[in-house]
Parts: sequence; structure tokens; C-alpha cells
Amino acid sequence: MSTPLLKVENVTKSFPIHGGLFSREVASVKAVQGISFEIKKGETLGLVGESGCGKSTLGRCLIRLHDVTSGNIFYNGKDITHIKGEELREMRRKMQIIFQDPFASLNPRMTIGSILEEPLIIHNLFESAKDRQDRISQLIDLVGLRREHLNRYPHEFSGGQRQRVGIARALAVNPELIVCDEPVSALDVSIQAQVINLLMELQQKLGLTYIFIAHDLKVVEHVSNRVAVMYLGKIVEMAEAEELYRNPKHPYTKALLSAIPVPDPRGKEERIILTGDVPSPINPPSGCHFNPRCPIAIDDCKTIVPPLEEKAKDHVAACIRV
Amino acid sequence: MSEILLDVKNLKTRFNTDDGTFRAVDDVSFNVKRGQTIGIVGESGCGKSVTSLSIMRLIQKPGTIEGGQVLFKGQDLLKLSDEKMRQIRGNEIAMIFQEPMTSLNPVYTIGDQIEEAILLHQKELSKAQARERAIKMLRIVGIPAPEKRFHEYPHQLSGGMRQRVMIALAISCNPELLIADEPTTALDVTIQAQILDLMRNLQKEFNAGMILITHDLGVVAEMCQEVAVMYAGRIVEYGTVEDIFYRPKHHYTRGLLDSIPHFETGHKLDQLKTIPGMVPSLYNLPVGCRFQDRCPAVQNDCRQTYPPLENMRGIHKAACFHPISDEVK
Ligand SMILES: Nc1ncnc2c1ncn2[C@@H]1O[C@H](COP(=O)(O)OP(=O)(O)OP(=O)(O)O)[C@@H](O)[C@H]1O
Ligand SMILES: Nc1ncnc2c1ncn2[C@@H]1O[C@H](COP(=O)(O)OP(=O)(O)OP(=O)(O)O)[C@@H](O)[C@H]1O
Ligand SMILES: [Mg+2]
Ligand SMILES: [Mg+2]
Repeated sequence: MSTPLLKVENVTKSFPIHGGLFSREVASVKAVQGISFEIKKGETLGLVGESGCGKSTLGRCLIRLHDVTSGNIFYNGKDITHIKGEELREMRRKMQIIFQDPFASLNPRMTIGSILEEPLIIHNLFESAKDRQDRISQLIDLVGLRREHLNRYPHEFSGGQRQRVGIARALAVNPELIVCDEPVSALDVSIQAQVINLLMELQQKLGLTYIFIAHDLKVVEHVSNRVAVMYLGKIVEMAEAEELYRNPKHPYTKALLSAIPVPDPRGKEERIILTGDVPSPINPPSGCHFNPRCPIAIDDCKTIVPPLEEKAKDHVAACIRV
Repeated sequence: MSEILLDVKNLKTRFNTDDGTFRAVDDVSFNVKRGQTIGIVGESGCGKSVTSLSIMRLIQKPGTIEGGQVLFKGQDLLKLSDEKMRQIRGNEIAMIFQEPMTSLNPVYTIGDQIEEAILLHQKELSKAQARERAIKMLRIVGIPAPEKRFHEYPHQLSGGMRQRVMIALAISCNPELLIADEPTTALDVTIQAQILDLMRNLQKEFNAGMILITHDLGVVAEMCQEVAVMYAGRIVEYGTVEDIFYRPKHHYTRGLLDSIPHFETGHKLDQLKTIPGMVPSLYNLPVGCRFQDRCPAVQNDCRQTYPPLENMRGIHKAACFHPISDEVK
């Protein structure tokens, strides 16, 4: 078998919480807790899960925007967990991110034109200003914005337009892997469809690899080869997209799939409503993290940490009840 | 019929930029009754947020509200003093903003921000009571360990948590009118279901009106009684949810509905359906219908005059000379 493009081994990431008189570390948010998976070149891995379960944090760790607390990340077989300086800079060109919150990620004092030019300059991609401008025009067309937008500032755009700037910026440097963190949630469905078609087209043309984080499960199904479901810092289920949607194993995945709103005023289906408080990554429940809200939990679930094990062919889930 | 809470009449909002001026909101009218939820949908950049910011009188330079009326319980908000408007904002009318980071203050903890909002509007409360209420609000919107989170700053929260903090902030004063601009985009579907439920219950309890802006047509189908479809600054179709989903008249609405990725039909190599072409530049709008260049049913008359919003059946209206004939579904 060929080396995976990205291999993630037991990655954890905690954020310290400070408090008290001397701002001592009093606790920590265990945002990502021992995650492992592999992605092949040209593949799309969908990442879904409860808000706050660590998807963005994981995405940021993978492309080294956060330092991991422990674990290792390999890119094309090379350990990149601790690379620095020039090596890291080169790596950063290969791995880009489309940020979840476009407003917070665009410098308010720069025009869209200079926001798009910046990465081209940093990575020395084009000799002349003219070549850079051509590239920028090309990018603007690609994401469906207008040339007239180039002289404008981020606050002059609507939410969806800003998101497209973020996408153009990520594409600017010809990356190999893109972490797409909610890339289309700010877009209306027709533009969403355009952007998704665009991302998939680029993938086929350029062999891009995506980690695709989204709350819209239909979109994730459409774009992903495989899908991983996260709950409170851990992967609880992972399988081929079709298999996961047809044949979910983990009770959390089932609840998630049943909660999708349907675009039909008459079409209200039965939902699995999760009861109980959303647990906290500061103080996660013992045993299976999902046990306090799980409809099928038994006493053992409070003590046994369920391993991620194969429940069907190429289909893993972390639940002792299925 | 219940009382009209908000009546927006011929609202026009313009932006003056270096490249010229354009109307982001061009002659928009609709109303919201008590206990009712109106959805606004439409292409990104069509003026949904500017409409709601105009209602709240939060349009800043280079934007100006050029004309129209925003009647809230009969009084025109556009004529109120700044001071009076400030009292209404966040008290009788609250807004959940599209991007949490733009409306949460990065240098204050989230607890302080909610506590302050509560104290500002409920002056009779003590600080301790306000804090208690703030923590309760955080718990209601599903923030785990709210006592701990109370002391955190916005950047320490996940995207969805920030969005929920904003929702807590908006509903902490039991507003009579809630304007929610993409309130659940950053939330997973189970929490989204919870939050939508919460909003519905609050609305019932206080008989409030709600304007819900969202790209998620599933959420519209579930929450709204009536829907406005906007395109390039104007309402092009208006009707009950059933009108919009089952009997769309405008070709843009049809295109929008067709672009939804359908569940279980999704196939890796399938292209999603899209609406060909691009929205016209607001600086340089075509004569006639603004959707003409992308419309499958375009004719000569569409290029000559702008089609007026014509009554169809009941409250259903569409701005199209060649509307789609009724489909059986
Ligand atoms: N810089 C930070 N400092 C402290 N805590 C953080 C920081 N970034 C994230 N966290 C915490 O880590 C946890 C996971 O956050 P993350 O943003 O990864 O969630 P997410 O799965 O992307 O959620 P969402 O779907 O809401 O965007 C949360 O509890 C969050 O509060
Ligand atoms: N401060 C501003 N200065 C200049 N133009 C602006 C400003 N704010 C908004 N616009 C423009 O007004 C138009 C309407 O923007 P608005 O934010 O209302 O769109 P929207 O319908 O909410 O879109 P989205 O779904 O992407 O949030 C857009 O073309 C936008 O570029
Ligand atoms: Mg996130
Ligand atoms: Mg908007």
C-alpha cells in the first residue's frame, strides 16, 4: 500500500484554563483526545460532530496552526509534528485552511486584492506584480466574485462573499491539502452548490486532498469519501460515506442523522431528541463520553472506555452496545 | 388575525462607496405579526443582513437609510431619537448577528457581557441576580459547565459556542421582536434542533414575532409560516411556506430549491444543480428584471421593465412576467 498523504497518530490537544489569585492553571479543556486516522492523496475525509467537540482544533493541529499536546502527524511519511522555520513555511504552502469565521480571519485594514496577494508574496510564487494580478483575477473568477471587489475591504462584503474570499485565499498558493472548516455554511444553497462543485472539480483536476468539516450532513455526504463522527474530543465512528449514512452504528451518529431538518414543510420526521446536559470537555464523563445522554446506555458504559473497533467491513465505531 | 408588530414599508438603504453608490435594499416591504415567524432567504449578498440592520438602525457609514418606514407597534423607528432607539434595541427588539465575532467584545469575558446586557435592561436586578440569570441563560442555550465558561473570552470558545452565547445575549431580555440572522449555521444539527425549539418556546411564551434569516431551507420549512425570497436587493417572491416550497412562481426560487443537495441521492460524481451565471453588480443593474440573465424563461419584456410584485393566490406574490405554472407535488 502507498504511504498515506496524512497520517495522524494519537493526537491530543488541551488548552489550559487559568484562574485564582496568580492565574495558575486550574484545569484544562481536553479539546482533542487521542485521535488517529489516515488520508490518502485525493481523498476527502468529512468531519462532523457536536459543536465544541474539537473539529476546528483538530484541523488546526493537523496543519500546525496549533502545537499538539501529544501524538504525531506525518505528511507523506515525514514527521511534521515539530518542524520549524523554513521547513514549516514550506509545509504551510502545501496545507491551507479555509476558516470557519471569515470575518475574524480577514485583516480588516487590507483590501481583498492585497489579502489575496499576500500569500503569493510570502511564498514567492510569482516574479512580477503583473503575474500576481493575473493569478488574483483568475482566483476571483473561480469563486464567483467580481473584479470590482478587489479594491474593497472585508466589512463591505456580505457573510457569503467574505467566505468566498477565504476560499480564494486558500487556493491561491496551489496547496495539496486543504482543511475546509465550514467552508459553505455562510453561503446560500445555489452558491453553496457552485462552491462545492468547484472544490470537487479542483480535486479531480489537481488531486487535492480535503478535510471537510461541516454541520450540514447532506453536504458532507455529497463531498466525502469517508466520514468521521466526533464526540467530545474523540472519533466515535468512521466509515465510507455511504455506509455511514445508510448503516450508522453509534447511537450519537443515529441521533445526529435523525436531527437533520428536511426542506419540506410537511416532512417532519421522528427525531431522536438527546436528553441531558451537553457534557464539558473540561470535565468529561467517565467511561463512554456519550453515556449520560445515550438512549441505550447500561451501567458498564459509565466505567468502560469503548475502543474504536471494527463493527462491519471498514466501519469502526466506539460503542460496547452495538 | 393577530396584531401586526412590525410593518416595514418601502425600505431603501444605500451605500456610497468609492466606486459609486448602490442600493443594497431597494423598496422592501413586509410585516411580522405577533407569534409569527417570517423567513428571509436569498442569494448571498442580496441584502438580507442590511435589511435587518436597517430595521435595528445599525447601518453605518457609508450606508444610509434613504427612505421608507419601519413601524414597530405603530411608531416609526426611523424617526426616533438615538437615545430612544437605544432603549428599544436589545430590549423590545433583539438581534442575533450573523457573525458572532463581530458582536462579541473580545476583551470582556462572555459572562460579563451577558451580565451587563441584563443589568442594562433590567435595572432592578442586583449584580448577583444578574450573574445568576446570565449563568442560567448560558445553560439554557446548552453551554456545558456555564459557571466555568462564564469567565472565558470569546476566542476560547468554539464557533458554535460563540453563536450560542450570542443567542443567550439576545434572548436574555425577552424581546417582543427577535431578528435572527443565520442563528444556527455554526451549530450541529442536534443542538440546532434544541435551539430552534428554544426559540419557538420563547416565542410562544411571550407571543413574540421573529424574523429568521437563513440559508438552510430545512430550517425555514420547519420554523417559518411565511417566507420572503430576496434577489439583488428586492423581494421577488413572498408567500406561505407551502406556497414557496410547493408552488414557487419565481424562477429564482425554483433554482434555489433545486440547488439543495438531496439526501440519499447524493452521489460522489454527481454535480449539484446550480443556477448558471452570477448576480448582477449592484452598481450596474440591468434594465428590467434583475434575474434576466440567469432565467430559463426570459423574454423580451423582462429586459424592459422591472416586473412588479403581483398577487397570486392568498398572500402569495411574485415579481415575474412569466411565472412558473402550478406544479402538482
Ligand atoms: N484558543 C483556545 N483556548 C481555550 N480553549 C479553546 C481554544 N480553542 C478552542 N478551545 C476549546 O476547545 C474545545 C473544542 O473547540 P473547537 O473550536 O475545536 O470545536 P468545534 O468542534 O470546531 O466546534 P464548532 O462546531 O462549534 O465550531 C471547546 O471546548 C473550546 O472552548
Ligand atoms: N458596510 C458596507 N459597505 C459597502 N457595501 C456593503 C456594506 N455592507 C454590505 N454591503 C453590500 O450590500 C449588499 C448586501 O449585503 P448583505 O450583508 O445584506 O447581504 P446578505 O443577503 O446578508 O448576504 P449573506 O447571505 O452572504 O450574509 C452586498 O452586496 C454587500 O457587499
Ligand atoms: Mg469549529
Ligand atoms: Mg448576511
